[in-house]
Amino acid sequence: MRKLKRYASLYWLFLLQRFKVLMEYRVNFLIGASSTIFIQAASLMTVWVVMGQVPSLNGWTIDEIFMIYGLLTLAKSINHMFADNLWTLGHEYIRPGGFDRFLVRPINPLFHLLADRFCHDGIGNFLVGLVLVMRGFENLSIPWSLGNIAYLVLAVLAGGSIFIALNLITCVTSFWIMNSVPVTLAVFQTHEFTKYPLNIYGKMIGVAMTWLIPYGLASYYPASYLLGRDVGYMAWAMVPVAAVLLAAGYRFWLFGLKHYGGTGS
Amino acid sequence: MPIIEVDDLSKVFRLNQKEPGLRGAFKALFKPNYTDKVAVDHLSFSVDPGEIVGYIGVNGAGKSTTIKMLTGILAPSGGAVRVLGRDPHSQRVANARDIGVVFGQRTQLWWDLALIESLNLIAKIYEVEPARYKQLLDQFSETLELDELLKVPVRQMSLGQKMRAELAATLIHEPKVVYLDEPTIGLDVMVKERIREFIKQQNREKQTTVILTTHDLGDIEELCQRVIIIDAGKVIYDGPISTIKDRFGKYRTITFETGSASTAGLALPDGTELVANEPRKLVVRFDRTRTTASQVAGALMEQADVVDFSLAEPDLESIIKQIYSGALREEVAV
Ligand SMILES: Nc1ncnc2c1ncn2[C@@H]1O[C@H](COP(=O)(O)OP(=O)(O)OP(=O)(O)O)[C@@H](O)[C@H]1O
Ligand SMILES: [Mg+2]
Repeated sequence: MRKLKRYASLYWLFLLQRFKVLMEYRVNFLIGASSTIFIQAASLMTVWVVMGQVPSLNGWTIDEIFMIYGLLTLAKSINHMFADNLWTLGHEYIRPGGFDRFLVRPINPLFHLLADRFCHDGIGNFLVGLVLVMRGFENLSIPWSLGNIAYLVLAVLAGGSIFIALNLITCVTSFWIMNSVPVTLAVFQTHEFTKYPLNIYGKMIGVAMTWLIPYGLASYYPASYLLGRDVGYMAWAMVPVAAVLLAAGYRFWLFGLKHYGGTGS
Repeated sequence: MPIIEVDDLSKVFRLNQKEPGLRGAFKALFKPNYTDKVAVDHLSFSVDPGEIVGYIGVNGAGKSTTIKMLTGILAPSGGAVRVLGRDPHSQRVANARDIGVVFGQRTQLWWDLALIESLNLIAKIYEVEPARYKQLLDQFSETLELDELLKVPVRQMSLGQKMRAELAATLIHEPKVVYLDEPTIGLDVMVKERIREFIKQQNREKQTTVILTTHDLGDIEELCQRVIIIDAGKVIYDGPISTIKDRFGKYRTITFETGSASTAGLALPDGTELVANEPRKLVVRFDRTRTTASQVAGALMEQADVVDFSLAEPDLESIIKQIYSGALREEVAV
């Protein structure tokens, strides 16, 4: 408990310092935070244009698709804001030697890595996701019940954890390989599929995005649940899957650390 | 009781030898050809609390690798390390509270943060008690002249400013053991002096144990009573500096100023060598185990018109150079 408090207050301090720096580069901050909004807008336009041609996609209306899209974006933004620094593990810490610093400080090195750089670009993603989901609640007359709100929060946190865990697993490879970014990118980019209902794809992709690279658990299933489409237990699968992936990711991280202790590079 | 114990410590790096080109890269991937690089080779030594030990050797001798094992960054491939009774690698976090590390080539401060913000953050990470922190900050600001730097982000600092800031950050939690890996690299004389003063002061007031690697023997002469010299991962000397000077400083030089220009065909005593013979200047090097300064001076005065002469003390630099070059290696009994 004391440990939790200590880490929470440390995170807060890191965050404050980070914002101080960001305020120093105010223009950068605004561009960064809003650039994601523009990127999202372009991507949303595509959905809108496509959906303008067909009234529904395998039984999904445009508003419903925006709901899936919004949930995914919220989950992704959690990762983007709090765990974006994972991407840089190899080229900004291990290769230049700065990673050693984490190992001579009395705090958890993974915490240190994550706390070192809160990524403000994720704020834009968060806002876009939030607007889309709120709009979905309104347009599709989903009741703002306590149960639904709690479910929403749970789905976003678990979905965010799935994003973080998968990035963690792929980024830990930088303990062995020179450049892990292509590996991380290859896995990460598959989330694009899950911006749309999984039932529009062939069976393979649907299964892959549910069980293999389970970004679908962060979007398609929670959206289905909120829209009253029966997906059974799958509506809750994101919670245990996120827990298992996070545990596996952390284990793998520890394994990478052990390897680092052997080679120092 | 020693504060650091190093027992038969080794570190072997396994390198995957790649042949050049794409073919080589593929071969390295599927049929790796490993070679072992022994960076640290069965080292043993121990350090008592409050000692300042110079840890020196040529480039690639294994100094940084040793420091990385002492700090817990690397796991030993063989042997054992104990720092304050703990194994630094397996008890890394506990060990980290009691140590401070400077890697001269890199900073531990946040690039974009003003120094004071970095220090605040570090104090929180190490849970330095706030009142104590304030006290230390005042004290460090004075000895390291940090006042004007506190508001400056590290990216805007000069090398010397950065290193002063770095030392403050390393010692702000009053570590019991401090590892300094080339803390004076690239600094001017004034900054070096200030940094040495600071290290001495911390050691004197708090009994801080210091392990210092450097290529600047001035650091060693000013700070260390004891020096460990390593070569190819092995200890080749461990003892007081004065002993090295006595035992290995067997060559001394005498510089003579002469009145007449011609000094050809000099007969010199055994164990003496003419290093320079210029108009009005003669430099003679002699082995003091074979002859004495007075013999050399006497011989020269008989043959040349000596106006003045001076005897140079053996300087550490040239002795170490000889040890490094291997000339004295056989002689060095560990
Ligand atoms: N991570 C590593 N992987 C493989 N070899 C390494 C690694 N780190 C060091 N070495 C090798 O081990 C040897 C010792 O290196 P080390 O950095 O300890 O030397 P050093 O005494 O600190 O030298 P310098 O004075 O140049 O800093 C060198 O030959 C170096 O190439
Ligand atoms: Mg070194």
